[in-house]
Amino acid sequence: MQLISSGFVILWIISFALYYLVPVKRQWIILAVASAVFYVIGMGGVPLGLLFTGAGAYACGIYLQQSLAAQGRALSECAEKEKKKMVKQGFERRRKRVQILYFVCSLGILLFTKYTVAVWPFLQEAGLTTLGMDAFFSRVVMPLGISFYTLTAIGYVVDVGREQCEAQKNFLQLLLFLSYFPAITQGPFNRYAKLQGELERPHVFTYERMFFGVQRFVWGAFKKLVIADRINLFVGNVFDGGETAAPGSIYAVAVVLYMLQLYADFSGYMDMALGVSETFDIMLPENFRRPYFSRSVAEFWRRWHITLGTWFKDYVMFSFVMSGAGRKIGKNAKKRWPKLGKHVTGIVGTMLVWLLTGAWHGRTVSYLLWGLYYGVIMCVSLVLEPQYGQWKEKLHIKEGKLFALFCMARTWVIVFLADVLIRSETLVQAGAVYRALLLDFRLGEGILTVTDYGLSLYGFLLLFGVCLLWLAVSVLEERGKDVRRALASCPMPLRWGCYYGVALILLITGIYGGSYDTAAFLYQSF
Amino acid sequence: MEEKVLEILEEYCEEALDYVGENMMEEGVIDSFTVINIVSELEDVFDIEIDAKYVVADNFRNKEAIMELVRRLLEEA
Repeated sequence: MQLISSGFVILWIISFALYYLVPVKRQWIILAVASAVFYVIGMGGVPLGLLFTGAGAYACGIYLQQSLAAQGRALSECAEKEKKKMVKQGFERRRKRVQILYFVCSLGILLFTKYTVAVWPFLQEAGLTTLGMDAFFSRVVMPLGISFYTLTAIGYVVDVGREQCEAQKNFLQLLLFLSYFPAITQGPFNRYAKLQGELERPHVFTYERMFFGVQRFVWGAFKKLVIADRINLFVGNVFDGGETAAPGSIYAVAVVLYMLQLYADFSGYMDMALGVSETFDIMLPENFRRPYFSRSVAEFWRRWHITLGTWFKDYVMFSFVMSGAGRKIGKNAKKRWPKLGKHVTGIVGTMLVWLLTGAWHGRTVSYLLWGLYYGVIMCVSLVLEPQYGQWKEKLHIKEGKLFALFCMARTWVIVFLADVLIRSETLVQAGAVYRALLLDFRLGEGILTVTDYGLSLYGFLLLFGVCLLWLAVSVLEERGKDVRRALASCPMPLRWGCYYGVALILLITGIYGGSYDTAAFLYQSF
Repeated sequence: MEEKVLEILEEYCEEALDYVGENMMEEGVIDSFTVINIVSELEDVFDIEIDAKYVVADNFRNKEAIMELVRRLLEEA
């Protein structure tokens, strides 16, 4: 059951109606049931992994909370400073052990499931197993949404340990936090304190909220069906099958379009998920802030998949840097290289985060290289950042619109080169694409044959038109305009003209399957 | 104490001195790399240990919040 399917819309409408009919204290139960239905019936998921991860997080949270309370009592009974320190350290050590045990178990399951599916065909070929990877088996060993709920659960356990939230005493409510249906397949990553606060507050029906939720959902569907899936007709033909015969100019068009496809697909999903949630009066965190307006790669990643970036920053980078090992590395580096040593922990932390981000996104070497590529660029640019001002002065560069455009273009090129790696089916194909881009561009042939790859001239023109519309909305948002509210306050003919226009384009030009269903979302595979 | 904090901020992130908003980290005034450098310097200068649980957006929302954090940790030490 994709978000754009009749089954999902029925589930949405029924749960929406029940949600506002039941007493406010029971509203979370409707969401919990809807999440269970979506997971088990809608997506055909086997919830064993979710229950196991949830039970672990629940037990861990309760233990941490009790340990913190016991620590408080023990400290109040100590008078000496040294003794207090020792008591505190003892409690902290025990809590750390429990947390590490939980992280190892849940990440172990995540890694096992991610890599079992990849390794299984080789095990079969080598005769090490006779079990086939059928649909049910693959659902058991690769549970739906495992990447998302595992990281979310780890975040919860860390937050309880850091006293940033209280442990949840109701197991079903914790399960709802981990499996909230608009977010379970692709995020956004929720923080417990924030989402629980949203789930717990009373929600009263308002027409305005329902309207804005549906409006955002339709806009997301528009991006997914009209832009992303149309682009896929071209990009798929160029890349799928590992062919490397196309001229470099065709690959250039394909990669630029792939950049847009990935953005339209993923941000489209987010608009739909946030829109659905908005109708329930539950505001999820934004995951995108117009990343292609970024002037640097660091800024790009602050605007793209924001909740994943902050998860890695808060739970991996800072945890590593402030750990005993991180501090030791930092102190040794400072002693050895007085000037540059201060950057060493930051560099090690950044590289660690990017290698993990690569591994999280995919199982292949290409994704590790992709992570390494971004890690190196981030580190180099962050270390050199203080020099930028001096270079700009020496080169007499003034910070105007032209310079901003140059910086944006530089970011696009860096992202473009990275996307070749993740869109190519193999490293060999990626190498061939880089080669074609540099040495075999064949511009003339590319122009003449660009419509031979699954997208007609009409398709390109339509794509250009809808992308212009998307760009216009993005520019207005970038300038701080609230486009959704501005549109809602327009005179009725104009307002409904726009809504009908978007809906008509969506219905007529969206890329649908046999029964108005849709292709899977790209990020679902990560 | 305040002067020393301002000196550290001046060295690592001058923009933070003029910032008057409520979320330096989210608004990109201060990135995670700079936060790490500032934390490391604060630890050295004030002889305190800043645990990861304190390195959150709220404690780095502006220069006053950083000073408040240092003040709190100095009192606890």
